Amino acid sequence: MKKFKWRADVTAVTVVVFIVCIVLVSVMLMQFRTIEQTDLIEIETMRESELREALVDWKTKYEEVEKQLEDVNKRIEEYNKTIEDNEAASELIDEELKESNILVGKTDVYGEGIVVTLVDNDNYKIIAEDLIDLVNELRYAGAEAISINEIRVLATTDIVDMAGYTYILVNSQRIEGPYVVKAIGDKEYLSSILNLRGSGFVDRSTTLGKNVSSRQENRVEIPKYNNEFKIDYMRELESE
Amino acid sequence: MKRKQIAITLGIMCFLLAVALCVQIKTMSSANSTVSQTLADNELRDEVLKMKERYDNIYASLEDAQSELEKTRQEATQNDVTAEAKEQELKENNMLLGNADVRGEGVEVVLEDADTTNNNVNPSLQIIHYDDIQWVINELKNAGAEAIEVNGQRIVNTTAITCEGNIIKINGIKIGSPFCIKAIGSQSLLYGALERAGSWLDEIRNGGNVAEVTKMDDIIISKYSGIISYEYLKEDK
Repeated sequence: MKKFKWRADVTAVTVVVFIVCIVLVSVMLMQFRTIEQTDLIEIETMRESELREALVDWKTKYEEVEKQLEDVNKRIEEYNKTIEDNEAASELIDEELKESNILVGKTDVYGEGIVVTLVDNDNYKIIAEDLIDLVNELRYAGAEAISINEIRVLATTDIVDMAGYTYILVNSQRIEGPYVVKAIGDKEYLSSILNLRGSGFVDRSTTLGKNVSSRQENRVEIPKYNNEFKIDYMRELESE
Repeated sequence: MKRKQIAITLGIMCFLLAVALCVQIKTMSSANSTVSQTLADNELRDEVLKMKERYDNIYASLEDAQSELEKTRQEATQNDVTAEAKEQELKENNMLLGNADVRGEGVEVVLEDADTTNNNVNPSLQIIHYDDIQWVINELKNAGAEAIEVNGQRIVNTTAITCEGNIIKINGIKIGSPFCIKAIGSQSLLYGALERAGSWLDEIRNGGNVAEVTKMDDIIISKYSGIISYEYLKEDK
């Protein structure tokens, strides 16, 4: 029996098999790397929509500030003019105060907007949480002034259930259903947000069986805040 | 016999190799299209950064202009007694609106998601939800809070708190746990409202979450970082 016989064809085959194995392994390694990369890229593409959203957000904010800056600069000019001409500035300050009072809620206001009516029915009683949700969504949709049953809702306004859900307090004033919530702003946009299928307040509420409806109006009237504006605890931080 | 075996082995190997190559080529070509997308992403990212920088710059000039306006207004109304009262009212209005940095006594509330290593509890109870924050804010308002902020976001007349998936946004800005809510007002009233027996805070704590209320003698709340203006409101005389 011959122990080993050197044959050219076997050597050739072995070499070929060896080369094939190396190629195969390297292809597989490459393969793994590409897969890893594609995962990374997936995360990147997920971020893309976020990036677009952020870009729009910053742009909108920029434009808001730009507009405000123009206004402030115009005011400065006007005040400077009164100083130069030695005139009284009372008219200018009156105008500033007027606009500021509108924002704070010291005046009755009107404008286009939306009216939402919430009525108790056999299945659901409207509670403070419904109103808090609604006010929050109206603010999200850009409402500039809001009232609940003719009570002005401001940044400091609380809405709480009282006496086992028998009535609701808004600004410490008692109200009972039906609740009429008014908001001034872009009526089309307000309405579209509230009626958004699945997530809008009106759509969500009616799906649950609550009696909630909304209508757009060209003239919504909202009264001024009828409590006193109290500043007892906060004071302005002096700028250094 | 031996030759046949070798031929079969080689055949199988070639087949595998061919399949591997095909898959490889397919992945590569699809990866290529996303690679160019990543480049577009980077451009987009640059654009966002640039926009943010432009915003920061213009916001700084707005702040400068506002303090200049205040000075000029003071100068213009120097000799006018009635104007002084109006100026004071303007200042108070800005405090009420959230357009001024303010300080005073009050409370600080910290809410933090539970340590999720304890898996016996419903995971939904182990995180702070946006309605928990809304409840705290409403309760603080009820107790007479004059100024409130959550993670640096001043609560103003137009502030909405939203929840998209598990992201909470206030004033359109993303915020996350731990949530730090500051309020200026009567320490004892604010504290008492939140820590009364059977309050919602106990509910939050039951899930293992952290809910701490601390009385503070001096809290600083910064002004709203956005613009408060109106477009649709008209004064009714």
